[in-house]
Amino acid sequence: MNSKTKQRINRILLWVLIVVMAVWMLFPFYWAINSSFKSEAQLAMMPTTFVPRDAATKEVAFNLRNYEAVFTNQAFLRAIVNSTIVAGTVTILALGVGAFAGFALGKLRYRGKTGTLYIILAMTMFPAIAVLTGLYAIITNLGIPPILSMIVTYLLFSLPFTAWVLTAFFKELPTEIFQSAQVDGASPFQTFYMIMLPLTAPALVTTGLLAFIGAWNEYLFALTFTSISPDSRTLPVVIANFPSQFSMQIPFGEIMAAGIISSIPLILLVFIFQRRIVAGLTAGAVKG
Amino acid sequence: MAKTGSSDLAKQEQRLAYWLLAPTFIILLTIAIYPLLSVFYNSFTNNVFASSAPVEFVGLENYQQLLSMTIKTVPPKLDDAGQPVVDPDTGAVQYESAVAVLPREPVRFRQVTQFNLFGTQLVLGATDPNFIRAVWDTIVFAVATVFLELVLGMIVALIVNANFKGRGFMRAIILIPWAIPTAVSSQMWAYMLQPNRTGFFNTVFWYLGLGNGEIPFLSDPAWQLPSMIMIDVWKTTPFMALLILAGLQLIPGDIYEAADVDGANPVRQFFQLTLPLMKGTIAVALVFRTLDALRVFDLFQIVLGQARYSMASFTYYQLIQNRQMGYSSASSVVIFVVLSMFAVIYMRSLGVKSDEQ
Repeated sequence: MNSKTKQRINRILLWVLIVVMAVWMLFPFYWAINSSFKSEAQLAMMPTTFVPRDAATKEVAFNLRNYEAVFTNQAFLRAIVNSTIVAGTVTILALGVGAFAGFALGKLRYRGKTGTLYIILAMTMFPAIAVLTGLYAIITNLGIPPILSMIVTYLLFSLPFTAWVLTAFFKELPTEIFQSAQVDGASPFQTFYMIMLPLTAPALVTTGLLAFIGAWNEYLFALTFTSISPDSRTLPVVIANFPSQFSMQIPFGEIMAAGIISSIPLILLVFIFQRRIVAGLTAGAVKG
Repeated sequence: MAKTGSSDLAKQEQRLAYWLLAPTFIILLTIAIYPLLSVFYNSFTNNVFASSAPVEFVGLENYQQLLSMTIKTVPPKLDDAGQPVVDPDTGAVQYESAVAVLPREPVRFRQVTQFNLFGTQLVLGATDPNFIRAVWDTIVFAVATVFLELVLGMIVALIVNANFKGRGFMRAIILIPWAIPTAVSSQMWAYMLQPNRTGFFNTVFWYLGLGNGEIPFLSDPAWQLPSMIMIDVWKTTPFMALLILAGLQLIPGDIYEAADVDGANPVRQFFQLTLPLMKGTIAVALVFRTLDALRVFDLFQIVLGQARYSMASFTYYQLIQNRQMGYSSASSVVIFVVLSMFAVIYMRSLGVKSDEQ
């Protein structure tokens, strides 16, 4: 076997692996899309079909009723609005506050820096479940509305994460810029605001994306804090406890349609910002 | 530290640093440290949420209730002649009911599991078998998912690190399972795992002649954990792959060129070059993922509800369903302590680089 055929075999093997991997990653989506176009009768067919088929004639038959149901479902529509408000506000707050902290941690010299770095790192791993009981008590006793509760408590994970990732990015910026600005008479805050912040714009986009995805997907706090106020529920809570318009059983067709609709923004973000997301994720977890 | 000549500037810088850090630390103090302290405090009380009963300090009672376990020997059933009763079909020895041997006073112990050790039938009893089972299930879940995700994540990372057309596209595709809400993926998988041939898996197994097309993946205790593990492996392998990929990209390419010249085949290169060089990355990824897996909530709560708990979903139901503030606080503290140990290991292996030293 000469090296050329060997290379060709390797190539084929690689592509086989790529295809297997892609199918594994995407098949559940395919199945969800397939099911979202089935009517109740089609969903109940045994054995199930790999494309929506008419129960009697076995002809391919797409059914849009689930999408109609979902788009007229008040709970679902309100959840889209709620999720957007919560995730958007959390992202802006986390970036605003986290960028300050990230700059101090990454670029400034002060006493007690190692300690603060350790605290932020420890906070990125803080288990939300450990404070669930305490937060729930505070929120209920003070009567804080659920949407506001979610916005504030989501900072528990998004703020340390943002601060930590931004620290890594700030650290990579050359210190000379900072020093020459100081020599030119700029105060440290001016340097931060006028020079460092614009330079980290890409990092802010990356971190903001990750904070947004995290807040958009959050389930534990959302479920707990909206347990007695259905109007404030976010998308994950509504999808996990889907209120059906028609069926008495679990309305899987509608759930699949709703799930696909609420995943689309995330899938778009992933395709547009793939490089940035990967960079941000790994900066947060691996680099010290 | 700054020289004395620029000490004014250094002081200014230090003051700015404290001001910039203040908002973050104040927020974290309010939403993490204060609630955590109140959870610690509550875990020593019999606080029931939204109840008029006075809150009393009960010391370690909650922890005792959560964690008390005992192991007792289960005697074999004896017939009239004093001989052990043996099942005529299987030849297995029949044992007495475990209820008879587990203590009832002062608190009742219930069975968690039975097992056979060197021919003696033993029963593990606990005052709260649900919690002990939740801890055990969560640990099994964490170990299995993290191991499988490491192996598969390594393969995925090696694939998307190879040179081929459409690599960027593939990297975006593997991000999709990670990016979508766990609520959505849990529902998608729950539907694929339906206990009849409306479900994908039962249909495929049935076509392949495996099973009767009615395997209860989510209600049969034997299938529940494997199903959870499979779903989580699908969802989280991409994240593991990305962590490993970041480490792979740090390995200089000329090492492999040298190995090629020496005639080492790719498999040997992987085990003798790549793997040793990746030790640090893998250690960090492992601990990070273990921490994550141990606090699993969404998947268990959505797919299994109260049929089977993870540590986190147990705590949630104690709080929301049973309104047991004190009791759920105690289980929160147990989770916190377990996770903190892993967090310390993680931080040790990662290390913080500061220019202070």
